[in-house]
Amino acid sequence: MRNRNPGRSGILAALTGILWCCLTAAAMAHAALTGAVPSDGAVVAAPPKTLSLSFSEPVSPLVLKLVLPDGRARALDTFVLRDRTLEITPPADLGTGTHVLTWRVVSEDGHPVGGSTIFSIGAPSGAPQAAANAVDWPVRGALWLARIALYAGLFFGIGGVFAVRWLIADDGDGPAPVRAATLLGLLATVLSLGLQGLDALGAPLSGLLDLAAWKAGLATSFGATVVVLAAAFCLAVLATRSRSPAMRRGASMVALLAGSGALALSGHASAAAPQWLMRPAVFVHALTIAIWIGALLPLASALRRDGEAGRKALGRFSRLIPLCVGLLVLAGIVLAVVQVGKPAALLSTAYGNVLLAKIALLFLLFALVAVNRWRLTGPAAKGEAKAVRRLCRAIAVESLIVLAVFAVAATWRFTPPPRALAVAAAEPASIHIHSDKAMAEVTVTPGGAGPVDISAVILSAEFEPLAAKEVTFVLSNPQAGVEPMRRKTELQADGSWRAAGVVIPLAGRWQLRVDVLISDFELVRLQGEIDIRS
Amino acid sequence: MLKRTLVTAAALVLGAGTAFAHVSLQVKEAPVGSSYRAIFQVPHGCEGKPTNVVRVQIPEGVIAVKPQPKAGWTLEKVRGAYAKSYDYYGTPTSEGVKEIVWSGGTLGDDEYDEFVLRVYLTKDLKAGDTLYFPVVQECPDGVAERWIELPAAGQSADDLELPAPGVKLLEATSGH
Repeated sequence: MRNRNPGRSGILAALTGILWCCLTAAAMAHAALTGAVPSDGAVVAAPPKTLSLSFSEPVSPLVLKLVLPDGRARALDTFVLRDRTLEITPPADLGTGTHVLTWRVVSEDGHPVGGSTIFSIGAPSGAPQAAANAVDWPVRGALWLARIALYAGLFFGIGGVFAVRWLIADDGDGPAPVRAATLLGLLATVLSLGLQGLDALGAPLSGLLDLAAWKAGLATSFGATVVVLAAAFCLAVLATRSRSPAMRRGASMVALLAGSGALALSGHASAAAPQWLMRPAVFVHALTIAIWIGALLPLASALRRDGEAGRKALGRFSRLIPLCVGLLVLAGIVLAVVQVGKPAALLSTAYGNVLLAKIALLFLLFALVAVNRWRLTGPAAKGEAKAVRRLCRAIAVESLIVLAVFAVAATWRFTPPPRALAVAAAEPASIHIHSDKAMAEVTVTPGGAGPVDISAVILSAEFEPLAAKEVTFVLSNPQAGVEPMRRKTELQADGSWRAAGVVIPLAGRWQLRVDVLISDFELVRLQGEIDIRS
Repeated sequence: MLKRTLVTAAALVLGAGTAFAHVSLQVKEAPVGSSYRAIFQVPHGCEGKPTNVVRVQIPEGVIAVKPQPKAGWTLEKVRGAYAKSYDYYGTPTSEGVKEIVWSGGTLGDDEYDEFVLRVYLTKDLKAGDTLYFPVVQECPDGVAERWIELPAAGQSADDLELPAPGVKLLEATSGH
């Protein structure tokens, strides 16, 4: 997280936020790794029988590899999923040295996450390079554009077809932009599946030609969204083309419900707890957007084309939409409260910044809507030609703002919500410090600046438990000019030494020394470095 | 700026204070193959508390240890086997005092005292090396100051937070 000056104006923060989340290169966790056995950086005496990775949310593995000390990578095919823990059986013939367990998993929100943990057998060998999580910009850009097109298709297209059939009660095919949006949405939805697969596998854009990417995309929870949404788009096309009036209306209604429901099948809002609240909230949010936004283009078209039918539709729109917008805002607030958690996260996280930007655009939109409703709707309903023209222009502007909102909301695909970040922030930081006399496994919980608990397990160089007389932690940060802080520890029932309520004032790389008093006259000092997050 | 200067000055003064506050040996050099009067200078207590116990570990190669009794302190000599047999004026010596404990006294934090041993530095010790005597000061409430750190290769005693007092060993003087 970057430090943000809360004094900055909300708008500025929101705008920088959009820029920032477009530029941010760090691949951030959606499902966060909460633990690994052997733990990251651990040195174990014998080759482990199982490797395990625990996550904050249920996941399924996409890629599991073990990079051996000689640099060769071996795929890990044998694994079992137990709740949120992935238990992997490593190859039986592991040698001594440092191994990198590289993983890429997909969580229930449909977003793939990757990372590496390092462990050594016997003793560390060299400095292993954790695979960097580079961002593939073409894939990310394509995902973003496809997501915008998907929203446009769902809300302008499917929503538009529904409005044509139910609100305008028109027998025509509906305005051309609505039909175009429907087809665009169908195309973007299908393409998203492949792009999702590329993102899941960490493959480049050219991988779209490979069936594997599409299979991987279908295997994520987003696959279900794509299938249902594609079906909804087909129904919307049917609702335009069918000759039977009952079929036209029925298909448009089912398309609307299915399309809105599809969004509730994946995404981090849908994956959040409590599920009974979040999934319906996503559904209601999508449904009400589709009804409201979908009505805009057909309404403008009807007003311009046919005065009488248009005016009747305008009357229905004016009665229906306030209820719709009320539900929309209510569902939106529920989603935002759960996802953002603390108000401070609005400024301090990319997700919060995107939300602020979205809210700013919505204020603009609602201001315009209010003007239309109180200034133009009355005269337009009476058939004043000038008011009708102005209303049509206003609707066009509204539609453009709505597109901008879609573009902003689509960046959420790449920003983990503060709720997930909070889980990641609670993750401990740990190091293994080794000398020829003793070793220490030190865990700092949570691994961020602020009050933390530090605990250490002290072992002899032969991995036997070491009965120490006293253990003291000495923390210093010479770069930040922080002189050594000593903290005494207490022996816990489980044999670890713990210092509670230690305050680490700054994020960054800290020197951590563990002073182990073995006997009255024998002191072992173990010196290591630990990275503390902000 | 003034504040920073004051802080720096305070740090220097305190830092220097710590450097002089180590338990040290008054006589800094001694030849091997001779008697040595080890005078431990204890300049303060532990974190403001008075010292009640002073323990000195006798390093290997140091034999014929005789502590000088002190009024108000109880002496304890912890005996044990040496790692090898040493020659003491022709007498092989394979066991003896390995730790001396002065206890039961009270040496205020604002007071100074000396604790004395007479020892024999065997010829098995290497001239040119520094011989360290780890010392532990114990105070009430389980607080202790442990002057037990020995410099590792390439380190000097100045690099250590809690250096054990040491004596530089010289070549054996002729005539013995």
